[in-house]
Amino acid sequence: MTFVYRLLVLVILALVIRCMFRERDFWKQATAALVVVPLVLRLLMIK
Amino acid sequence: MMRQPAASWKTAILLLLLSLFVAFVAARDFRVMNAPDVFAPAEGFARKMLSEYFPPLKGTTADTPVFIREGKEPGGTVLILGGTHPVESAGILAATLFLENASVPRGRLIVIPNANAMALTHNSPQEGHPQRIHFALKDGSTRVFRYGSRATNFTDEWPFPEIYVHPASGQKLSGKERSNLNRCYPGVPDGSMTERLAFAIVELIRKEKVDLAFDLHEASPEYPVVNAIVAHERSMELAAIVTMELEGLGIPIRLEPSPKNLRGLSHREWGDSTDVLPILMETGNPSQGRLRGRTDERLVLTGEDKAYVKAAALGRLFIPYEGNQLIAYRVARHVTAIRVFVENLEMVRPGKGVTLEGIPQYEEILKQGVEAFLKPVPKKREV
Repeated sequence: MTFVYRLLVLVILALVIRCMFRERDFWKQATAALVVVPLVLRLLMIK
Repeated sequence: MMRQPAASWKTAILLLLLSLFVAFVAARDFRVMNAPDVFAPAEGFARKMLSEYFPPLKGTTADTPVFIREGKEPGGTVLILGGTHPVESAGILAATLFLENASVPRGRLIVIPNANAMALTHNSPQEGHPQRIHFALKDGSTRVFRYGSRATNFTDEWPFPEIYVHPASGQKLSGKERSNLNRCYPGVPDGSMTERLAFAIVELIRKEKVDLAFDLHEASPEYPVVNAIVAHERSMELAAIVTMELEGLGIPIRLEPSPKNLRGLSHREWGDSTDVLPILMETGNPSQGRLRGRTDERLVLTGEDKAYVKAAALGRLFIPYEGNQLIAYRVARHVTAIRVFVENLEMVRPGKGVTLEGIPQYEEILKQGVEAFLKPVPKKREV
């Protein structure tokens, strides 16, 4: 179960990073950068 | 037609690096909470692990130290559990005072200072809760105790169900209550981590044939069950004696019967599943309340809060509040109540009395503070 959960988190993280690289507006890129932080912590099961 | 600006890869890379740096700093801060609190047990305490009573717990984050002191003279067995909810520091500290000061000429004393170790590895930053509380000792050293969360760490207790159905009764609660140790008794051997932990504690009570067991808590001053003893019907006679004695000592305390239809709690399930006399005790802690203002270590240690002064003036609180609820006062209440319970155990369980010595008196804790009865420990980490 946890494996599936982490896999989902990884996919979402990858999509957010992809968005960040394709986005043209700086503030939308910054918003994506904010979202990356909790996803990384969750992926590593730290928080 | 206007041309869209190209996506800035350089900006994205810089932002990604910044995100990873922030995640690294945050991760380091969160992971410090995994370092266990250090205790200095009084001479004669043997250290075991809870997994010795329920082996599947071994190697998991739920496993926690169990300290046992055996008296020379046979008698009964008393269990003191602190840290069911690690956000309720007076429970952990009262258990620690017994662990670090008690000698046991008769009977046995078992202390579990960090009952839910999985709830100590995180806190509630959005509640403004501190990660730790500190006590300066006379020798210049500092004792540090983690200030955890009420609930098991999400990383140990995932996924939450929408509704938590208590396995023994079918009682329905909010899904997150499955991460609350004091809703999971008598536990399930192959259940969630918190249910397994509850099962292990009940196994300990059974295998060690515990006569009298305490689950130490704190509650917000506006909650009706505060400054209270909650007793299973089997414990009620003893609890009534203790309540009268405490009132005589100038310690006002309520006596509440354990509701038969409120399942999963220690005062109900320990009594229904084993032969123990279960007791749950609550002190008043403003740092847990919803009326509180600025929340920090100072509030946890002093209980000083202007909003509670106003609430007390309006008659909205269930404790007498005169501007503070010092940690020394909250711990002294727990310690004194346990002492009086143990002194009277022989009356209700002939031949099963327990004698405890070296326990600080109520006035001593109030005057000298909790720190006067904590022992120095080796410095393990900078916090």
